[in-house]
Formats: sequence, structure tokens, C-alpha cells
Amino acid sequence: MVTLLTRFFGCLFLLGSSQALWAFPEEDSTTRASTREEAIAFIQKIKDLPPSPHWPHVKAELFLANLHTNIQSPLSLYQGSNTNFCGYAAISYLPLHDDPLGYVRFMLELYREGKAAWGRTRFYPSAAIRQAAGTLRFKGELDIRPADQMWFLLLADHYKGYLNFFNPHYNPGDENTFWAAVNFGKFNRMIKRLFHYRVEASGSDLLHPWVRDLYTVLRESLKTGYTFIYVNNTFLHKKNHGMKAGFPTHFLLLDGISRNGEVITMTYWDYGERTLRQVSPAFLKKILFGISHCTRI
Amino acid sequence: MTHRNLRYGIGVLLPLLLAGSPSCTSVNVANYYYKNRPVLDSIQHTYKAAYKEKPFSIEFTDRSFKNISLELKTDSLKYIYEFGSGEVLRMKDTLMKYKFDIPAISTLIGQMRSVHCTWINNLDYYVGEEKDYLIYVSIWPQVFNFPFVGKRYNILAYFSRPQSFDQQGRLVTGRRIRRIRKINSEIFRKINDTVCYTLSDRFR
Repeated sequence: MVTLLTRFFGCLFLLGSSQALWAFPEEDSTTRASTREEAIAFIQKIKDLPPSPHWPHVKAELFLANLHTNIQSPLSLYQGSNTNFCGYAAISYLPLHDDPLGYVRFMLELYREGKAAWGRTRFYPSAAIRQAAGTLRFKGELDIRPADQMWFLLLADHYKGYLNFFNPHYNPGDENTFWAAVNFGKFNRMIKRLFHYRVEASGSDLLHPWVRDLYTVLRESLKTGYTFIYVNNTFLHKKNHGMKAGFPTHFLLLDGISRNGEVITMTYWDYGERTLRQVSPAFLKKILFGISHCTRI
Repeated sequence: MTHRNLRYGIGVLLPLLLAGSPSCTSVNVANYYYKNRPVLDSIQHTYKAAYKEKPFSIEFTDRSFKNISLELKTDSLKYIYEFGSGEVLRMKDTLMKYKFDIPAISTLIGQMRSVHCTWINNLDYYVGEEKDYLIYVSIWPQVFNFPFVGKRYNILAYFSRPQSFDQQGRLVTGRRIRRIRKINSEIFRKINDTVCYTLSDRFR
């Protein structure tokens, strides 16, 4: 019965592999809490990192290499193939860009102590995810990124939305299920509560945002902060030729947008790389269900 | 036939008709591969060589194999462009702009169309901590699809080195630790040492 209900909600909301289009603001439009150089210097000072008893399957050298890669190129963060981690991967750009040192300190505390605090949010990862981190396989580059596995599993374990109602506890393989799903409300809540950004969100899990001119709204949004978009990935990143549900499934970080007549050119972060794509205004309206504009408080 | 027997017959036959017999579909994919082997292998060779120069993937977006979506990867950006059947010149201009191998890609498009190949891409996978690559080829379903039943694409995976398989012919991780290796969340089966297949409801 639970499975049937889960599938029913799955058909309705398809929130597993949501994609967000993110906008990268100008360098001086936000105040960074720390710099990339500070974070790299901090990592380089660590000469010997012993294995963690709290994360038995996380290899120390891979963990450090993973942190280093994330700081050097935040856009290379990859949620893994066929997982529901895209929402967590999308929001990760905020700490990696604005407070890389804070991110590294948090991850090291988590690795060493088995628990950690980010601001006023305290994380106590469950035994199941501590066992799982470092063991996720067949996900592409995520296979060799144990720090990202820890981070995604931790966020999915800690933050819950209505989509996680029927599957609240992690079991092996749940990275691909509704246990890891992110709905629009949960996505915005994570940004507000964890990273303390001001979030102006429009849209929902079911209805398109009430915006007359999407292009202008997105273009203006990019000028003043980070812009995530919540889209229907079954149209944007088509995987089959069958009937498609008309619901959002993916979070992306919008990087840039321009218009030439009836062609809108968007640049966005997705699956660990920047992508440029041309779409029509009608197609953009069809796929877009949510816009989250985030600025530092 | 009594009403009860009729109901029983429908109950047994309908799922079989809708799902198809796994053994039959297995034979079909392997048969399809051997029947079209020269073209399929040529697609793989051409793609592998062209991808090595500059990475890209090709998708046919419609059943009639007229519209094409190209993903062109550069160092900083992945470009996704769509071209209709009458936009050959625009496609060539785009490929020229980013310095892609136009003859190779044109040949590939023709060959893919001839065997109903809907998608070709290069996928990375890991053996322990070592990165390796395979070529992922999706072929439009060859059998009739019932309405409201998802399509099952025939997927071929070309590996660059011989793989390990269990006794049932399923792709496994290695000779010592024999764990089933999934690609794109699917279990693959052996055609030969370097080519495997599966049926999937997603072409990528």
C-alpha cells in the first residue's frame, strides 16, 4: 500500500531528479565570507588525516582530494547518474562560492566527529548513512567522491519534505528513491535555514509561476543574486519518447540568459558542467515551475 | 469456455502479451546486433575516433528520425543545439564554428538513421578508483509497443576492454569481487566479451 501511494505521489510530483537553473552573480554583488585561497591553504595544512571511525567506508585521501576539487571548481560538483541528489547539488554552489572555508571546516568536523554544526543547524547523521557514504557505486564520478556522498546523504537525511513522508529512513539504494527527493518548498527552506540567504521564490510543485514575461524576470533576477530554477526535466533532458508528466523534476542554477527574437539562450549549471541551450519562450514557459532568487542577508 | 476459464485465460495471457517473454527479447537484441553488426560496429568505431578529437553526442528526437539534437562539449561549456530536417546547412555551420569533424558526424547521422539508433554517447564508469569509458548506443524499440505501455529501447554498451560476467551472462564488476555492475541503473548481459545489451525504458 505504501509503495502504491509512493508511486502515486511519484507520478504526481516527479520530484526525484529535479533540476535547477542557477544564476551566477557578478563577483562583487555578494559579500563572501571566505575565499577559495583560504580554503585551499586550510586543506594543504592537513598533512595526515587518519581514517574516521564514524565513516568507515570513506577513504581519507579521496575525501581530501574531493574537497580540494570542489573548492577549485565548484561547478564540477556532480550529483551522480540516476540519483535524486540534484537539489542538494544545486544549493551546494552557495557555500562553495561564498564560504568555501566554512564548507571545508564543516566537512572536516563531520568527518572527524561524526557530527557537525553549520551556523545554528546541528547535523547528527544516522548510522545508516554513515555506513553508506563511500559505498555508492555506478553513479559516474560520484563513485570516487566520498565527501560529496557524505554531504548529499547528510542533507537528505536531515531535511524532510512531504515527498519523503513514506520513506523517511535510508536503506541501501534510496539515493534513487523518494527518500532523497526535494520539493520546491524544501529546496527554498534549505537555502534559508542552512545558509541564511534571503529567498524570493515564485512557483510551486504543481503550478507555473504567475509571471507574464519570464525572460525579463530571469534576466533581472540574475543581476542581483543567485537564481535557481525548478524545471520539468522530462522535456529539458528527454530520456524517452513516451508520454510525459507535466510536473517539475529538476533544479538548475541559471548562469546567463539572452534573447534574440523568438530564441532565448540560457546558460546553466547541470550535472557537473555548464550548459548552453537555446529554447523558445513557449518552451521555457512550459518547463519552468519555480524561480528562487537568493541574496545574502 | 466457461466465464471463469475465460477470465483465467485473460489473466494469464494479457500480462505475457504486454510484458513480452524475457528470453524472446534477449534473443531479439542479440539477433538484432548480429544482423546489423557491420553497421553498428562501424558506428562505434566512427564515434570513438571522432569523440577522441572533440567530445559530442547525437540524439534523434523523433520517431521519423528527421530531427537531431547535438550536444557539443568544449572545455568550458556544453552546447545543446537542435536541428530540423531542412537545417543541414545550419548544422554544418555550427559544427564548423566549434571545429567538429563534419564528415564523421554526417556519416554517423546517416548510419544511425539506417539502424534506428536514437542516441549515442560516451559514458564514464569506474573500476575501483580507475576511470574507464564505454560507448552507449540506444536503438528504437523493434517490437510493437502497446498503448500506455512504456517503450523498451535496445541498449548496446561497447567496452574498450573485455568484461567479466556471471554464469547467467550478467555484467559483473570483476573476477574476484563479483558484484553486478549496473550502468544507468540497468543490468547488462553479454553478447560478446566487449559488447553487452539491455532493455531499458530510457534511451539515456
